[in-house]
Amino acid sequence: MNIGTLLIASFAVCGAGMAVSAIVHQRLIPRILALFGSLTALIGIIIGAIALFRGDVFHFSLWSLPALGTLQLSFDPLSAIFTIVAGLIFIPVSLFSREYLRHYLERTGLKTFSIFYLGLFASIILLTIAGDIFTFLIAWEGMSLLSYLLVNTERESNEARQAGYLMLGIGEAGTLAVAVAFLILANAAGSSSFSATKAAVPNLSEGLRWAVFLLSFFGFGVKMGLLPFNFWLPRAHPVAPANVSALLSGVILNLGLYGILRVNLDILPINSPTPGLIILIVGAISALLGILYATIENNFKTLLAHSSIENMGIIAVGIGAGFVFLASGQAVLASIAFIAAFYHMVNHSVYKSLLFLGVGAVNVSTGTRDIDRLGGLLKKMPWTGLFVLVGMLAISALPPFNGFVSEWLTLQSLLRSVELTSLGVKIAFVVAGAGLALTAGLAVTCFVRAFSMGFLGMARSKVVHTAREVGKIALASMAFLALVCLALGVLPTYVIPAMDRVVAPLTGASGAQALVPPFFVANAPEGQLPPNFASEFHDLGAQIGQSVIPGPGLAVIHRGGKANPVVFAMSTSYMLVALFVLLGLCAGVVWLFVARRRKVERRPQWDGGVRSLLPEMTYTATGFAQPVRVIFTSILRPITGKNGTESIAEHFRVAIRREQKEVHLADRLVLHPLSASALWISDKFAHMHNGRVNAYAAYALLALILFLIIASFR
Amino acid sequence: MNNWVIKGLRTGIVTTSYPAGEEHSQGISPGIPQGGDCDDKSAKVLTEQCPTGALRHADGQLVVDRSRCVHCYRCARGVATPAVWETGFEWAGTSAKSEAFMQAFQRSLHIRVVDAGSCGACLNEVKLLNNPYYNMHRLGFFITPTPRQADILLVVGPVTDHMKVPLLKTYEAMPSPKKVMAVGACALTGGIFGPSFVTCSGVADILPVDVEVPGCPPPPLAILHGLLVFAGRKPASRLLYPVGTASSKGGDTE
Repeated sequence: MNIGTLLIASFAVCGAGMAVSAIVHQRLIPRILALFGSLTALIGIIIGAIALFRGDVFHFSLWSLPALGTLQLSFDPLSAIFTIVAGLIFIPVSLFSREYLRHYLERTGLKTFSIFYLGLFASIILLTIAGDIFTFLIAWEGMSLLSYLLVNTERESNEARQAGYLMLGIGEAGTLAVAVAFLILANAAGSSSFSATKAAVPNLSEGLRWAVFLLSFFGFGVKMGLLPFNFWLPRAHPVAPANVSALLSGVILNLGLYGILRVNLDILPINSPTPGLIILIVGAISALLGILYATIENNFKTLLAHSSIENMGIIAVGIGAGFVFLASGQAVLASIAFIAAFYHMVNHSVYKSLLFLGVGAVNVSTGTRDIDRLGGLLKKMPWTGLFVLVGMLAISALPPFNGFVSEWLTLQSLLRSVELTSLGVKIAFVVAGAGLALTAGLAVTCFVRAFSMGFLGMARSKVVHTAREVGKIALASMAFLALVCLALGVLPTYVIPAMDRVVAPLTGASGAQALVPPFFVANAPEGQLPPNFASEFHDLGAQIGQSVIPGPGLAVIHRGGKANPVVFAMSTSYMLVALFVLLGLCAGVVWLFVARRRKVERRPQWDGGVRSLLPEMTYTATGFAQPVRVIFTSILRPITGKNGTESIAEHFRVAIRREQKEVHLADRLVLHPLSASALWISDKFAHMHNGRVNAYAAYALLALILFLIIASFR
Repeated sequence: MNNWVIKGLRTGIVTTSYPAGEEHSQGISPGIPQGGDCDDKSAKVLTEQCPTGALRHADGQLVVDRSRCVHCYRCARGVATPAVWETGFEWAGTSAKSEAFMQAFQRSLHIRVVDAGSCGACLNEVKLLNNPYYNMHRLGFFITPTPRQADILLVVGPVTDHMKVPLLKTYEAMPSPKKVMAVGACALTGGIFGPSFVTCSGVADILPVDVEVPGCPPPPLAILHGLLVFAGRKPASRLLYPVGTASSKGGDTE
């Protein structure tokens, strides 16, 4: 099957789904959406896999438009990986929607939801295969508008409408910047197609290169959720339905990355280290601030939104490092950094959509997303709890799940800055690495808190008592994502070569060769692994699985020169085996020497001697985050409300209530000044509209005179 | 700023030599009346003087129930034939049943203190064990905030109705092997409070008590002696239960 046929099939399935959605009764919509959504996503994965693994190249010219050029489609490995990720997330999310959307049956028009949903997937496919500027911008706009409409499903509330407008407004500002960047490129190349532009622009002037970089980084960075324009993300997520949130974090944020890479790596490769450093630093700050605000957040979905900002920051650090390495002539290291970034992107998509689905399941059965009101959910929803736990272990970068591999690779590629020459760049890398390490630590705090306060302990409100496990299909979709988390975590040696197919054509060096040696082979080809090394591994039994598991091996080993044969090495596959063996060993030792001889007494839990332990007395999520809040108080700047309320019973004051809240740093430094200045300007302009007809006539006359003066100078 | 270092070096070690050596400093113990031969007439005067019924006359002997004594000195001052007082402090006694203590208690002990309605005096004396003079840490005794780590439950106070549940819960929450130590006249017999309509007559009403430390309040060294009895490093006092008084525990005061 060739890619063209499959693409037509994919669009046809989307179109058919939209048509059927428009006809059938609202009650059937969840099934229709699940069927057509997962089918078209499956076709998307197949297209991507064909392009990535068979190396098929697809290039197709649609019709020509007068004055705009030819609309073109092209499909390369970079498109393929984003298509695969989109499909990988759309399948479980569509299946999950089959049960989830039933709760929206009475509330909102599901027909339009289904049409927008399928349209979103079609526009994402179109975006990844766009071969020229106009197709790209049309698809980008379609994707932006449809995601806005989907986020705004519950538009009854004021908060939801505001969040939607903010998302749309800042997104359109980004689109404008992107459009200007593309126009600069098209103007220089004299053509709107990507391939022609790529061939024509290498001798673009330095100033225009900077303009293209800054505009595209701003425009796509907004969609990616990077600082300082990330304020739309924590507002959009809590108002969106869970399945839309999963898509927003799992698919749509990635498309910002796609745009940055398409412009700055493919069409106009960056040739100086400074832009890379900018991306690196913005990414590191985004990561740190993202996780910081996630740690103190009580709303489950806002927490995950902040955590998405964090993960996008980590990805940005990866690609920033890649750009710096590439501009410094270290193509292999650049490949490793880009592989790390792509790996983290895939991982983030998988575990974040898993977590959003899990939180959606919790929300459906309890009706709340406030962690302080949950607690003890594990007894009511054991399977959801298990899958959410997997997602949280993965997002905290704990082995054997997938987050570990990519964060480890990112940190290792940052440490390879020793190969660079400039001291300033080295310092930036080290500082970014330290920031990333702190981020990783805070992420563990954040998700230990989220899981323990949400799922363990005592139920803190009545809603938990009536909670029920969600249906089988929803659980199956979460189980699928959890398994993908595990698979991506324990089989990095199979994922890295796949990523390398995307990265190698762009950087010109293979990262897989540098990372995944032919480990199973005792006599590795000269230069790939030192012979004494190979034989040592052989003696350890590295070749044992060779006949069972085909492939390069199960260990990630990066080799330096002769003096330093192994720079870094890791194997989560063996780690998983070792983990189980050690756990078994520990259990055996404990059983043999301790547990067998001692008898276990069960005593009631220690509650400090109170008559009955009330849920309000247990540790809350707010309390858990308090140390972090205190440590980072200079960044968070919490605002304590001045007018607290006091409750007085008979003669004594029994309670004083004070509210404390944090205003996000980006809100304080960017959003609020921005909106204040916009309001100020519009206020000034409002004075012009004084209602007098002669004043308006004077404005028209003045404008005419102004234009005549300008025209006379030309 | 760092004067305390110099001051500390200059002062040297002030910690009591007990239990390795003997302790004879002034004021370390209020003392307690000693029983002994006594004629009928002076015995009658003395027993009338005693407000808590700690003194009794039997077979020509003055019998002292130490668990009731509140060191009021009415039998020592202002009477024609005062009772003989001893100035020691090794008063902690143990019932014969609890005599054989377990191996597990021979070294370090962790103590959970529960104030079951005391006036605060006993608690103050327990607190003093942490100061440089008594410094019970040198002996391996530690106070722990959670019963989960405790070996010994140290109870002061007569056990008021409101503290009954918390006390039982604390005992329940402790891992085996566990022992209970009652400190002070109230914890032993209800003291001057109990039994009444809101208090029990001591810890023994609701928990099995293993070591009892008399006194109102017992001096810190007496409590320390009680802990050492647990650890098996000191013998228990045989005088706590004089002949014929063991059964009177928990009885009404007159």
